[in-house]
Amino acid sequence: MFKRELKLNLKSFIIWISILMGLFLVVFLVYPSITNSANMGMIDEMMKMFPKEMLKAFNMDITTIDSAFGWLKTEGFVFVLLITGIYSGILGSNILLKEESDKTIEYLNSVPVTRKNIVLSKILCGLFYIILMVVIIGIFNFIGLSLSGEFDKKLYILLSSTPLFSSIVIFAICLFLSTFTHKTKKTLGISLGIVFVSYFLNIISEIGESTEFLKYISIFTLADIRNVILNVSINPLFVVLSIGIAVVFIILTMFHYEKKELV
Amino acid sequence: MGKIILEIQNLTKYYGKILGVKDISLKLEEGEIFGFIGPNGAGKSTTIRSIMNLINKTSGKVLIENEEFNKDDIVIKEKIGYLPSEIHLYDDLTVKEMLDYHENFYKKNIHKRRVELVKRFELDEKKEIEDLSLGNLKKLGIVLAFMHNPKILILDEPTSGLDPIMQNVFYDLLKEEKAKGNTIFYSTHILNEVSKICDRVGIIRNGKLIKVEKIEELSKKNLAFVTITSNQIKDIVKDLKVTVISEDANTIKFGNNLPYNELIKKLSKYNIDRILIEEATLEDMFLHYYK
Repeated sequence: MFKRELKLNLKSFIIWISILMGLFLVVFLVYPSITNSANMGMIDEMMKMFPKEMLKAFNMDITTIDSAFGWLKTEGFVFVLLITGIYSGILGSNILLKEESDKTIEYLNSVPVTRKNIVLSKILCGLFYIILMVVIIGIFNFIGLSLSGEFDKKLYILLSSTPLFSSIVIFAICLFLSTFTHKTKKTLGISLGIVFVSYFLNIISEIGESTEFLKYISIFTLADIRNVILNVSINPLFVVLSIGIAVVFIILTMFHYEKKELV
Repeated sequence: MGKIILEIQNLTKYYGKILGVKDISLKLEEGEIFGFIGPNGAGKSTTIRSIMNLINKTSGKVLIENEEFNKDDIVIKEKIGYLPSEIHLYDDLTVKEMLDYHENFYKKNIHKRRVELVKRFELDEKKEIEDLSLGNLKKLGIVLAFMHNPKILILDEPTSGLDPIMQNVFYDLLKEEKAKGNTIFYSTHILNEVSKICDRVGIIRNGKLIKVEKIEELSKKNLAFVTITSNQIKDIVKDLKVTVISEDANTIKFGNNLPYNELIKKLSKYNIDRILIEEATLEDMFLHYYK
């Protein structure tokens, strides 16, 4: 069953990873021409015009965009975070619910397999693809950066593992939410909403002290990019929190799916 | 009475406040084909879905060979072959891949039976599932339901979409399964089928099982319909105290409860232009229970 899930979800995985790789490929091809030209000075001037809070929101106050790695640390990782987040959200809300939405659950329920096994195979498949996406895009960018010049490898490796934390939590939450409905159409919007709202809360929370509390309700706080860039280390609290929240939602999913009417 | 294979005990299902089925109790013996008939929305699918644990019962139990059948009981699931009325399979697979996938779920080797059934139902294993016609999809559903040699078959409208030739292939298969001692729960609204293949029939209406009867007893009841044309029709109705089913000028149709001898004697006093006595079909009897 796990094998079948892998095959079924391969196509969408390839599409999503291609989007990410295509995006970075363009950056790696174009960036040298930007940084080598006189434009850089202009960009620096332009940056000074932006309010401090805004630069902070994109981590531009603690890093510069004068190299490919610099860009990656700022905007680049926003894309990685958002795209892996969206992918995880869609995967989470679809992977289990698709059987009901396509009504194939009536077949699957009739063969000798427990509901627990159904959920487990799907979760494993989802986690496998999320991890694979983070690893592949990590390796791809590593190669791209190596070709573009020198960069802090340790910081890079830590940084590229951060989307894993937010993505796994998004996956688990969307999976759990999908056990409350029978049609994938209904969950898709909600899962995308969670990703975007969470991301904006994260940005707003960075802007000032009065909005800082918002970070506690944003899943992207778990990715904690800012701390990774500043301290070149991952806060173990966020690792534990991410795994903890994901496990809680997975257990809740199993519990609720066990009682669900599969029509 | 033979060994009880499938037993439904006081099955009740409410969807919120709406009644699905109420207090259904049934016992199916080994080697029996039980016809489960009723119009759309009577509760046939609710009953089947409750048996299969797709939906949660409000109350009641389903026993398979005296053991309660719960959701995750995979030992019992191995004994059941299930054919839903509408078959939904994985569109991204070919027939061959679907059958391979199905084989993987069973511990025992079921490949030989699969080959035999595929040949019998003339299925093309190379075809994509999304390209299958309704009839071919049904055939695939039948192969999936039967290929692991289940002891109990739960079939929901199994012949809808099959052409007459394939229907006969299917009826033959049912006879063989019955001969092997397997038990079949056969839900349908095609009465002709019930009289042809079932041993007993249960009639469900508005969520309640209103009648369970052997097919032979049902046809023994020789319910008959009489159509008479006469200019004394009003007197006849008064004299015979019949309940008229349909009326058109001097012609009436009624269900006959009298012995034929008595009926003829009574009618002989009147001037009759035309008389037609027809034996009720299973369909008429069915409608009779639904009145």
